[in-house]
Amino acid sequence: MRTTAAQQPESLESSIDEIVAKLAEVDVDGRVRETAAAAFPETRGAFLRRALVGAGAGALGLAAVSRASAGGGLTKNDVAILRFDLALEYLQAGLYTEAERLGALTAKTLDWARVVGAHERAHAKAIKNLLGRKAVPSPAFNYGDVSSNERAFIKTAVAFEDLTSALLKWQAPRLDSRSILAAVVTLHSVETRHAAWIRHQVGLSPVTTAFDKPASQASMARLIASTHFVAARTRTARKKRAPRYTG
Amino acid sequence: MSGTYGETTPGTRRDLLRRGVVAGGLALGVGAFLGLRPDRASPAPSKALDAKIFDFALLLEYLQAGFYGEAVQHGALRGEVRDFAEVVAGHERAHVAYLRKALGAKAREQPSFNFGAATRDERKFVDAAVLLENIGVAAYNGQAAKLTKPALAAAAQIVSVEGRHAAWISDIAGRPPAPRAADPGDSAAQVTAALRATGFLRG
Repeated sequence: MRTTAAQQPESLESSIDEIVAKLAEVDVDGRVRETAAAAFPETRGAFLRRALVGAGAGALGLAAVSRASAGGGLTKNDVAILRFDLALEYLQAGLYTEAERLGALTAKTLDWARVVGAHERAHAKAIKNLLGRKAVPSPAFNYGDVSSNERAFIKTAVAFEDLTSALLKWQAPRLDSRSILAAVVTLHSVETRHAAWIRHQVGLSPVTTAFDKPASQASMARLIASTHFVAARTRTARKKRAPRYTG
Repeated sequence: MSGTYGETTPGTRRDLLRRGVVAGGLALGVGAFLGLRPDRASPAPSKALDAKIFDFALLLEYLQAGFYGEAVQHGALRGEVRDFAEVVAGHERAHVAYLRKALGAKAREQPSFNFGAATRDERKFVDAAVLLENIGVAAYNGQAAKLTKPALAAAAQIVSVEGRHAAWISDIAGRPPAPRAADPGDSAAQVTAALRATGFLRG
């Protein structure tokens, strides 16, 4: 086997700190959590659970859920990677869900946003479960006109899907837990499908190379920063939050 | 195998339900179906195991490269389907070359295939392409956690491209390019059975 050695996770902590600090700084108004909750209402959730049990959830090893979803036993490194991914899934789910709600894009793009939005919400929920108590809540996002402007939406969606796929490739060899890795790879190929799909839909080449290269968390953090989607905390919100830290 | 690897009824209620069930499964915890592969259940990654897995992947890549190569050669495809076959044939040949180089002398030789009408009839070609690309994604995803980190890094670059191929040909065919929120991995036995079911493998 002559494969190049995976690089050590250089400056992994600092790039995560950068994004988590930015996300944690902002006020949590629950907008994305609300949309996520709307996507998984109690009744539908109960139905799905029944459906899953009917589909042989026993064979799927439901007993493993509590074990895997507790977030216990995860290394600090894996928690950091999963938290980064969770923040990213919140951000994407929020954008696509808002686009779907506003309905201002072309029918084809809205169809993409509807399907992919549901996937990203499911991904966020799954990663939250993997993290258990170590999960972080969603920050508030401000998508500006990106959720209602066709050109801006497509440009952003292509960038995010391509880079998310590349990011998961960067993270995969850096995960400590093989169970978590097995989970993340099932999301990875779906992100690449999203990227190829939106590219094809807008006349871009769906696949430009025989080997898709990885991209670091630092590059994703740069993309997120460039969008200004992570809303700045307002003066009012800061005042409202203050008592929580003085008592 | 079309129920597993190729969505034959796009946009139907059943399809939506299936998507929903998968989303529900994810909501319950990816750990549920990943619990099938706990850390201690599979053998520890090693170079020897990498070689076994890569040699298995090589069979799949030979088959894909042979399929697209023959389809291009026959010249029966038109328009974007033909573009797809030409571009993807090049990628699959690159994957074969990569795996052969990584395996060195241990690499298996290319078997002979019988693609029948699938490389001459556009409709059959599209069906088979969707199937083969989806099998590719499931095959790599099923082995990922068993690979050493350097081998995993390489396999991730390949499966990503298989996923793009799958989405592209599915969109051309008017089928859901990303039918599920997660692409579960398949075992080597499942993949072998799926490949045998195509009838493309001789013997």
